[in-house]
Amino acid sequence: MRNTPASNHRAQKNLQQKLQEGTILSYTTVHHVPEGFPNGPRVIGLLELENGTKVTGQLITHHSSLITIGMKVIPRMRLSSVNKQGLRTYDIAYEIPVQQAVKHEFPGYVLAITGPSGVGKTTVSLLLSTTVGNYVERVPILTTREPKDGDSDEYVHVSPEEFLELKNNGKLATFTNIPSRDEKRWYGYRTEDIEAIWQQKKIPVIITEMNLLQGLASHYGRRSILSLGLMPPGKSKRQMLSALLHRLRDRGRDTEQQIEDRLKNAEADLDFFKDRKELFDDLIVNDNIDTVVGHLGGLVLERVKV
Amino acid sequence: MNQSIYLTGSGQTRFGEHWDKSLKDLMEESIDAAIESADCTALDIDMVVVANMIGEMTSDQAHLGAMAASFLPHHPPALRAEAACASGAVALHTACALLESGKAQTVLVIGVEKMTDISPSKIAAALMGAADSEKDAACGLTFPGIFGLIATRYMYEHNLSREQLNLVSARHHKNAITNPFAQFRKEIPAETISASPRVADPLCMLDCSPISDGAAAVILSTKFESPIKIAASQLATDTLSITDRPTITSFAATKDAMTSALEEADISRDDISHIELHDCFSIAALISLEDMGFANPGEGIELYEKPLSTIHYALSSINASGGLKACGHPVAATGIKQIIDVSKQMKESGNMYGLAHNFGGAAATCGIHILQQS
Repeated sequence: MRNTPASNHRAQKNLQQKLQEGTILSYTTVHHVPEGFPNGPRVIGLLELENGTKVTGQLITHHSSLITIGMKVIPRMRLSSVNKQGLRTYDIAYEIPVQQAVKHEFPGYVLAITGPSGVGKTTVSLLLSTTVGNYVERVPILTTREPKDGDSDEYVHVSPEEFLELKNNGKLATFTNIPSRDEKRWYGYRTEDIEAIWQQKKIPVIITEMNLLQGLASHYGRRSILSLGLMPPGKSKRQMLSALLHRLRDRGRDTEQQIEDRLKNAEADLDFFKDRKELFDDLIVNDNIDTVVGHLGGLVLERVKV
Repeated sequence: MNQSIYLTGSGQTRFGEHWDKSLKDLMEESIDAAIESADCTALDIDMVVVANMIGEMTSDQAHLGAMAASFLPHHPPALRAEAACASGAVALHTACALLESGKAQTVLVIGVEKMTDISPSKIAAALMGAADSEKDAACGLTFPGIFGLIATRYMYEHNLSREQLNLVSARHHKNAITNPFAQFRKEIPAETISASPRVADPLCMLDCSPISDGAAAVILSTKFESPIKIAASQLATDTLSITDRPTITSFAATKDAMTSALEEADISRDDISHIELHDCFSIAALISLEDMGFANPGEGIELYEKPLSTIHYALSSINASGGLKACGHPVAATGIKQIIDVSKQMKESGNMYGLAHNFGGAAATCGIHILQQS
């Protein structure tokens, strides 16, 4: 595989044409990859794109046994390699969308607020429940981490055993584990909590991060999710991260060590906004809390009036 | 053919892993064997055509025409032909053109490949040069991968089972038992094929032709007569990338080359008794038989399920040598070696016509040669 700046530049020019949805004509798992590609099996498909052209491309799937000819795929920009000088090469791979998202009936709206630690998700959700409290209700977060001072009533603490039991019995709408230095912490939301809020004809408000949001979208279907990305103010990533750092320090809930961990995760969260644009209806910069709450409130009112 | 072109001499090395022999050694061994068997002497050779695909990558060696000519005392003019796995057929075709034009009266054609000196991932990348490097290779596809895609699609379209596909390699391995030049002279039960490690689903290791070293050489002449002559030499091409084709379960180049070869030899396919076909992967054997018209689309497997004698064609053998699977596949040597095997089979049976089918890449180039015995 040629991997020079010039050959990469030429290849990038054609990437746009491959950025289309397609249908699988055939597929295979290559168990011995050629030099220049990461080791390990690689699932590759021959695809017919929407405009009738055919391409070969990597298929992103967790279960290669579930692929069938005729399946629809959606394009994803993926980092394919980094050379010795640090030049990053991107290619298009094709993802087989989660089947559940399509099969699900529309159960109702869920308002999901996604963003890095310290951006103000909790504050926004609290303000929402005062401004449009008749229409929304916060869903309690299930967590296995130890309770600590400064926790609001948003958390429901459970033991890891209880959490896993709920997860294995399919009682969770979405869950994730966030590794920290000393333990593996689980976070999740119960379907019964969400459905109870629907019963009251209200919109559940959920605070998510990347894994929770994806889980939610595949559980209830993407169109059920009113998905808002909350971004810290700042023109560059560095400025955004520095804004987060100040907020986390002001909050005074975490040690300096924990803040460092949170910032590392925050960087991935910011990338997530860009990489998975389709998972968000709106990206809002949280530089004025009233504007943000006003915007969200408007969205909610629009939905409940229909 | 405007001229009668005779197969005057032929010789080959055993195909396999030759750790003690270099590209040059293999070439020399096959040239010596070919000259030994011929009615002419080394000095009668007017020109040399060398078929080789990846000498630069496997042995840091280009300029193979001059290398081959340096084994002959009078250093005749020499050139190299390359068309991936079809390099052998393209070299033969070039030699026929030189002979027909009168540019030469006796031509030495050598196919040589030394593949076991570099690592498997390097060989996989080098062989991928036979496909479109921008359209096919960029996503990490390998040649087994391309034929994995083809096999998946074929099995889907024609309802071929994995157990049925096992019969192809099993037959080829059985045939190779009596071939002293084959890499694997061993019978392999059909069920072992699909139990071997997966290479590119649904293809397993025993569906794939191996990495081999080897060389094969023939001497073609308009001057020195022999009972076997070339009745047809035809090439055809198709798009380099499989993504530019309307279908991947049939190869247009094989169909085109077959039509023109039958026309050139002025025979029908019912006249052909022996075939050596390009079974680089088991699925390719079935597709090739269908494209050459020996079976309807999707029914190629019947030639492996039933005895050939029950099929209405005059066909008495398919890959009696063991094919690429069991003989080994030193890329550019294969097309030449097929000619040698077909001529041997014709001499043995006394039958009049035999055919060699050799393609490169996913049949982006296909060469078909028909031999005639008088």
